[in-house]
Amino acid sequence: MPQLGETVAEGVVTRWYKQVGDKVAADEMLFDVETDKVSTEIPAPVSGVLTEILVPEGATAKVGVRLAVISEGKGEAGSIKPAAAAPAAAASTVSAERAAVSAARGVDSVEGVRLSPAVRRLFAEHQLTPVDVRGSGRDGRITRDDVIAFVAARGVSVPRATTAPVGDVRQKLNAVRKRTADHMLQTWRNVPHVIQAVEVDYHRIEQARREHKLTYLPFIAYATAIALQRFPLLNASFEGEDLVVHGRVNIGIAVDLNFEGLLVPVVKDVPGKPLLQLAREMNDLAQRARARQLKPDEVKQGTYTLSNSGVYGTLFTGALINEPQVAILSTDSVRKKPVVIEGPDGDSIAVRPVGVLAQSFDHRAIDGAYSGAFLRELKTILETNDWTQALTA
Amino acid sequence: MAELTYRDAVAAGIAQEMERDQNVVFLGEDVAHAGGVFKATVGLIERFGPLRVRDCPISEQAIIGAAMGAAMTGLRPIAEIMFSDFFAVCWDMIANEIAKARYMTNGQMAMPLVIRTANGGGSRFGAQHSQSVENWAMMIPGLKVVAPAFPADVKGLLAAAVRDPDPVIFFEQKSLYSLKGEVPDGEYVDELGKAKVLRHGKDCTIVALAAMVHRALEAAEVLEREHGISCTVVDVRSLVPLDTQTILSEVAKTGRLVTVEENPRLCGWGAEIASIVADECFWELDGPIIRITTPHVPLPSADLLEDHTMPSAERIVRELRAKLD
Repeated sequence: MPQLGETVAEGVVTRWYKQVGDKVAADEMLFDVETDKVSTEIPAPVSGVLTEILVPEGATAKVGVRLAVISEGKGEAGSIKPAAAAPAAAASTVSAERAAVSAARGVDSVEGVRLSPAVRRLFAEHQLTPVDVRGSGRDGRITRDDVIAFVAARGVSVPRATTAPVGDVRQKLNAVRKRTADHMLQTWRNVPHVIQAVEVDYHRIEQARREHKLTYLPFIAYATAIALQRFPLLNASFEGEDLVVHGRVNIGIAVDLNFEGLLVPVVKDVPGKPLLQLAREMNDLAQRARARQLKPDEVKQGTYTLSNSGVYGTLFTGALINEPQVAILSTDSVRKKPVVIEGPDGDSIAVRPVGVLAQSFDHRAIDGAYSGAFLRELKTILETNDWTQALTA
Repeated sequence: MAELTYRDAVAAGIAQEMERDQNVVFLGEDVAHAGGVFKATVGLIERFGPLRVRDCPISEQAIIGAAMGAAMTGLRPIAEIMFSDFFAVCWDMIANEIAKARYMTNGQMAMPLVIRTANGGGSRFGAQHSQSVENWAMMIPGLKVVAPAFPADVKGLLAAAVRDPDPVIFFEQKSLYSLKGEVPDGEYVDELGKAKVLRHGKDCTIVALAAMVHRALEAAEVLEREHGISCTVVDVRSLVPLDTQTILSEVAKTGRLVTVEENPRLCGWGAEIASIVADECFWELDGPIIRITTPHVPLPSADLLEDHTMPSAERIVRELRAKLD
């Protein structure tokens, strides 16, 4: 079991891509591991034949435990096949069918997988897809019990078969929820939060973003990285009594998992990234976070965090800091508003896309003036940068 | 509790109701002095006399016609048709008159009668004396249809049928007459339209009727013990009124419906249940509905052929092993 992050002590093997006797090539996907925070694919370290699987699917193993044995002897794969006489031919047809079913259930295509009405309903209720659940039925069919077991393992209660729950329902927190709960409580207890907000006029961004069908978020991340370089004390972490000011600007993006938890994938080294590339990376990370396919490294080493509730139309969010970082920025909804424009010929009123940016900062690290100056800088960049040009870079 | 046979329970049920209500009369072929060809009505003539327990000529129309007239004029007759196959002989009166009288007279006339009959196969009586025709009765609006599997249900449901204000067709499965079981002592009345869950499982819900209940239970035992497949078994007991609540909730629990029916496959009662489940319980289904029935053929009289044709416990086991996962 590989070490998947310094705070991770164990992982669950959720899927073996190979069966005993299969040939594997180095770097070919061998199995999936799920930890508290991520689900990730682990490639084979060497080429050979998978001769033993020691930890079956669904089992938890401590870091360092041996999961399987790959024999590097060359002749072995060949020696298994010729041994297959007539009876085994039938068996291989079955496994070929299963392989076809499994292949059909791959990430790229779930077409052609036959799901019973009960499974379809449970998938809809729990926002699952055939990719998530392994079938134990005939020819790998996903049964209702497979889904119920999967959801139970995840820690969310399954609604009773026909009746909607009446009265109170007690739920166990799933791994992501529990971890989030612990982290948030610790942050709330330990960190003196102060919240400051600015109102930003996004009209310069508006035109640029529409041409490229982008959201506001990559623009904000781009501008935040520039501002953080000018206000480095906000791009920092507490380590004990010390404040460690980071050289790299790695921005975490909070991604909601269909109301079932939160992941914060991190875009590394944001300054210097062309805006379009940044947008692509953020989009890719968010999508893979929702599909729970982030690699462990992709949720680590953040130095500052963006939290985006704007899609829900929020005006203002006082976010909790992602400890040990010292600040977090909430991006809330952007909507058209009448704005007073001051010009050389006096005031006029224009309709502009306007939204609030709210920063929660750790008052132990900095004071309100520093945070305010950062926000002013951020607002200025967002409102005055030549964004059309930034997109062509 | 006393241990009675299914046939003793018939006589006990009739006696209980005749004792209770002077208006209850009983008529049929050889039911009085012979005690019934299946010996299910032994002792009634001695106890209640020839006025209330009557032997009739071999004429189903005469029996049903007399019962209908008696019901129209205030009695609560129990009529016996010796073999349910011969419903075909008197079906006009049952389907067109008895079933519709209350409706067509706007409630001025009721038909509080029970027609008992020996139904089904397994006794080597051949194609004209072995049919399972509960589905014939089920499809006529205005008839209630009951088919007990156990002696206690015979007594309790027969009593409920007699007390019902409308016509009830009461199917006794003739191969069960010698079956023994505990029957409550004293006055015992059950409720029409209540299914019973006889066994709780998690992999599928087998819905069965009359003799098939016993085969389903036997199959469920084997499936659990030898193949690790656990089945719920529901005894439907009454096709009309039908206890859809119990059936739907038991199907929802396992996600699979299996019907085991003695009637020939086409338009068997299980088809109706399958349709109701597909309609109201579709999103709970975790696999195709399975119907195990007698095929669409006249029932053969040769032992081996009859055994092969009707659903057996072995066939239920075989089909479920092949079709469940």
